[in-house]
Amino acid sequence: MHGFRRDKKEEEDGSGSHSLLHLDKSSVLQEARATFNGTPVVARKCSHVLTKILMVLNQGEAIGKEEATETFFAITKLFQSRDQAVRRLVYVCIKDMASISNDVIIVTSSLTKDMTGKEDEWRAPAIRALCRITDAQMLQSIERLMKQAMVDKTPQVASAALTSSVHVARTNPEVVRRWLNEATEAASSSGEGLVQYHAIGLLYTARKHDKLAVRKLVSKHARIANRSSLACCLLIRIAAKALEEDDSVPNSGEMMDFIEGCLRHKSEMVIYEAARSLVGLNATNPKELAPAVSVLQLFCSSPKPTLRLAAVRTLSAAAAIQPAAVSACNLDLENLMSDGNRSVATLAMSTLLKTGGESSVERLVKQISSFMADIGDELKVEVVRAVRSLCEKFPRKASTLSATLAQMLRDEGGVEYKSALVDALIAVLHDDNDARNAALSHLCEFIEDCEHTSLATRVLHVLGREGPKTARPAAFIRYIYNRVILEAAAVRAAAVTALAQFGAHCPQLLPSILVLLRRCALDQDDEVRDRATLYIAIFQSEDQSLISSFISGEMHYSVTALEKSLKNYLKTSCSEEFDMKTVPIATPLEQGITSGSAPGSAPIEPVVARAKATVKEDPLEKVPQLAKYSPVFKSSGPLALTEALTEYTVSCVKHVTGSHVVLQFTCENTLTDQLLEDVWVQVEGDLEIVEIVNIDELKCGVQQSCYTVVELPDVDNLSSTFTLACTLKFKVRDCDPTTGEVDDGSYDDDYVLEDIEITVADHIQKVLKADWAAAWEELGPQNELEDTFALSAMNTLQEAVKQIHSFLGMQACERSDNVPEGRSAHTLLLAGVFRGGHAVLVRSRLALSNGVTMNLSVRSTDPRVSNLITQSVG
Amino acid sequence: MGIFSKLAEWLGVKRKECNIVVVGLDNSGKTTILNKLKPDDSQTSDIVPTIGFNVENFSSKSLQFNAFDMSGQGRYRNLWEHYYKDCQGVIFVIDSADKLRMPVAKDELDQLIQHPDLVSKRVPVLFFANKMDHRDALSSVKCSTLLKLDEISNKPWHICASNAITGEGLDEGVNWLSDQIKSYLRDLERRRR
Ligand SMILES: Nc1nc2c(ncn2[C@@H]2O[C@H](COP(=O)(O)OP(=O)(O)OP(=O)(O)O)[C@@H](O)[C@H]2O)c(=O)[nH]1
Ligand SMILES: [Mg+2]
Repeated sequence: MHGFRRDKKEEEDGSGSHSLLHLDKSSVLQEARATFNGTPVVARKCSHVLTKILMVLNQGEAIGKEEATETFFAITKLFQSRDQAVRRLVYVCIKDMASISNDVIIVTSSLTKDMTGKEDEWRAPAIRALCRITDAQMLQSIERLMKQAMVDKTPQVASAALTSSVHVARTNPEVVRRWLNEATEAASSSGEGLVQYHAIGLLYTARKHDKLAVRKLVSKHARIANRSSLACCLLIRIAAKALEEDDSVPNSGEMMDFIEGCLRHKSEMVIYEAARSLVGLNATNPKELAPAVSVLQLFCSSPKPTLRLAAVRTLSAAAAIQPAAVSACNLDLENLMSDGNRSVATLAMSTLLKTGGESSVERLVKQISSFMADIGDELKVEVVRAVRSLCEKFPRKASTLSATLAQMLRDEGGVEYKSALVDALIAVLHDDNDARNAALSHLCEFIEDCEHTSLATRVLHVLGREGPKTARPAAFIRYIYNRVILEAAAVRAAAVTALAQFGAHCPQLLPSILVLLRRCALDQDDEVRDRATLYIAIFQSEDQSLISSFISGEMHYSVTALEKSLKNYLKTSCSEEFDMKTVPIATPLEQGITSGSAPGSAPIEPVVARAKATVKEDPLEKVPQLAKYSPVFKSSGPLALTEALTEYTVSCVKHVTGSHVVLQFTCENTLTDQLLEDVWVQVEGDLEIVEIVNIDELKCGVQQSCYTVVELPDVDNLSSTFTLACTLKFKVRDCDPTTGEVDDGSYDDDYVLEDIEITVADHIQKVLKADWAAAWEELGPQNELEDTFALSAMNTLQEAVKQIHSFLGMQACERSDNVPEGRSAHTLLLAGVFRGGHAVLVRSRLALSNGVTMNLSVRSTDPRVSNLITQSVG
Repeated sequence: MGIFSKLAEWLGVKRKECNIVVVGLDNSGKTTILNKLKPDDSQTSDIVPTIGFNVENFSSKSLQFNAFDMSGQGRYRNLWEHYYKDCQGVIFVIDSADKLRMPVAKDELDQLIQHPDLVSKRVPVLFFANKMDHRDALSSVKCSTLLKLDEISNKPWHICASNAITGEGLDEGVNWLSDQIKSYLRDLERRRR
């Protein structure tokens, strides 16, 4: 490449600035037109200018359609050049300009000529460029060529055709489906490994929605011996993904056998991939993990550092789910602790922390400090997480461990590392009383010298919550008040709130707190002053209910939803008062994330916590017709309304809003010879349909949602359960599965689905009450209802607890959902908020006696809600 | 022609390069003509309608041609003009058996002659009245009448009847075009000095 070579030279000369730096867009484009339009073209100069264009494009500079088109046409003139470098740069430019220029199809014939020509160097890049510029209408004209290229004997050409088809499949899956015979041929070719790999990649992309086809793909290609290692790894991933999504896939055993068989492959890459997939599949039983663990164990003593790293990383992930299965490797891991590679050593240690017994904890923890000095933050976080889970596992060691954490907190580190440490210390607070005081004082010490505002405010919040519960709350005041003097406004504000907590919970401290708050009320920051003034006023009113709802009480609203509701409110005329009851309640998981408190909420290990974003967007905002029903109060999990592997599969999510239920039906058409139009779901039952949003067109293999909205009666007329009979309605247009051609005529058809039930649980959002008894007292007995039931179908208390819990859809508090073994009586404490913002608490006393007897008490801010709940049980 | 390029190379003579555009309605035989003009060993037997354009190289005794073989289909015709700016010659191919579309060809020709990038240049235009072997083929004289070639005043032009399949008539046309382009280039040189 002339251009590059010259640049290199200039660079070495050190003469002048680099010619590709500080390019001016318009002068480059100008130069391009001048250079490319000449006769004859000078290859060396053209290469250089093309490079400049690419540079400008990749700098992200915006190029207007007209300019771009003009430049594009100038570039097309370079097809007269037979210079290798020029031509290859031309292909790259065409790809990069395909979306910003008009009439790019002008190069179609030139590219098809190059892709079938004699010049091997041009064929592959021409294919890639051709697929970029070809739109849906033109695809047909290149079909034959693409199919030929896929089975071309030159590996680069076949690979280019296969990978480009993967891109085409994203926008035109039905066309690419017609090319699969050739792809299958390429996948079975014995030649180049990369071609097999790309071919399998294409076959999978084209059929990934079809479970049956995926299964066939794996079983067909698994059998071919002498498969390339890359292709083999891909097949493992495909099989693992299919198993992970749904292990009821027919023949899942066969796929599992294939993955396990790969543990005996001759290539290390394949063996590792198989082991990693087995670990990722979350095997619940140590026996299933054993074979994977034993190959990883072998890798631990490999001379290759990459293999050792891979092995220990995967073992570390495995240890998070199945420490027992990994403990077989303890000896090898001990050896790796002295590995020359710091990352390997640290991972080995954090794995040992997970697998080791209580006795080894202290010894390992002692070694931590020798590691921490020279590893990156990412690994440090790993270690902190390991220590944290140790605290949970061995509560007796919590004090020792929290001292270690505190020591780490004093060292240097980025905000993520520090925040992992703070999280760990906060987690210790919940678990153990001895460790609590120690952890709190470590945190106090930490905020004395903490440069991260976000962490300081978080710690202050925790001190405000936990400090008053300790034996000597007064000890914390000094630390907190120091913040008011020394810190940034946000931290000062948080400190004021923390002080108010002490005032609310510790009456003996209130006079001194008021003195401090009065000083804070002179602060120069508005927020700090406002908070102090508010708290002083509330305290002076001496009204306990005010104090409990504004200071000591817990907030259950979802913060993101509150923000959104307020924003929406500001868009209105604001003539009516803002109604807090319209704000959705945060689910305990969400609360756990924000306060770092709920047990088991924060992800300990990435492998375990894979997927499931917790703070979700409002699903109704995305659909314009439905935005008026937003916000959603509670969404159920998806519910299958058809059996797996039927012609049409439909699942339903119930979004309950203030006064409606939006039923979201996710539909998939698995028939290749049908195109569905105007798809919707009819529901019949006690509730009126008020709105329908249908799917205009549902192609085979695509998942789309239609919506049916029903109106809920007010609480007086609410019955505990509504049953809705569902029917999928649609128009069918037959189409040819191979060509994708669609018939003109269509006919109506329908398909009966399972019924949907809207139960009490759908109206209640879970809320975690840290102090359930206090909340019970606060609600008072005025709306209490009580009843006793005999649950004859239940045999154990645990079973009854599980049933009641899931039936009511409320949050179990104080870990009352666990029945200690050997008990004959148990009390389940539940908390929630009813649609419309009414707090509900349920106490269910259970006793074992010929089945289970249950005494149920319900308290709520609304008597109708108490009533509804007792009715729903009986 | 193959011999020429080899011999010339061997003698170290480098022929002058020139760019020409090859236009005309779809199915008139542009691609077939250019294919026939190429050396025997690089001719193909598989000719499909052109989408966009293609560059073909061929040479005459004294010139090396880069020919931009444009697509003649309706929706691509407005793209021809992108290649007018720096061409030194035009080949306009007429399907002499397609009497029905003569007015369409005439229309496209007018637009070409009056195009801002060509109107003031004395670029030579060669017409091939192609498919002369066809039973209903019009003679080259008849074609030139229908297209009113007499009215072209500021450009040298020439029409030959041709058969792209056998190659008949092609050499005559290309020789004429080579001579014209050479004198056109000489003119340009002179004016530049
Ligand atoms: N009988 C006969 N057929 C010809 C002659 N020249 C071309 N053809 C045929 O005419 C058809 C069209 O030829 P092409 O060269 O593809 O026409 P084109 O002008 O390039 O068409 P577009 O690329 O669509 O603009 C082909 O089937 C040729 O075999 C000729 O002189 N005599
Ligand atoms: Mg053509």
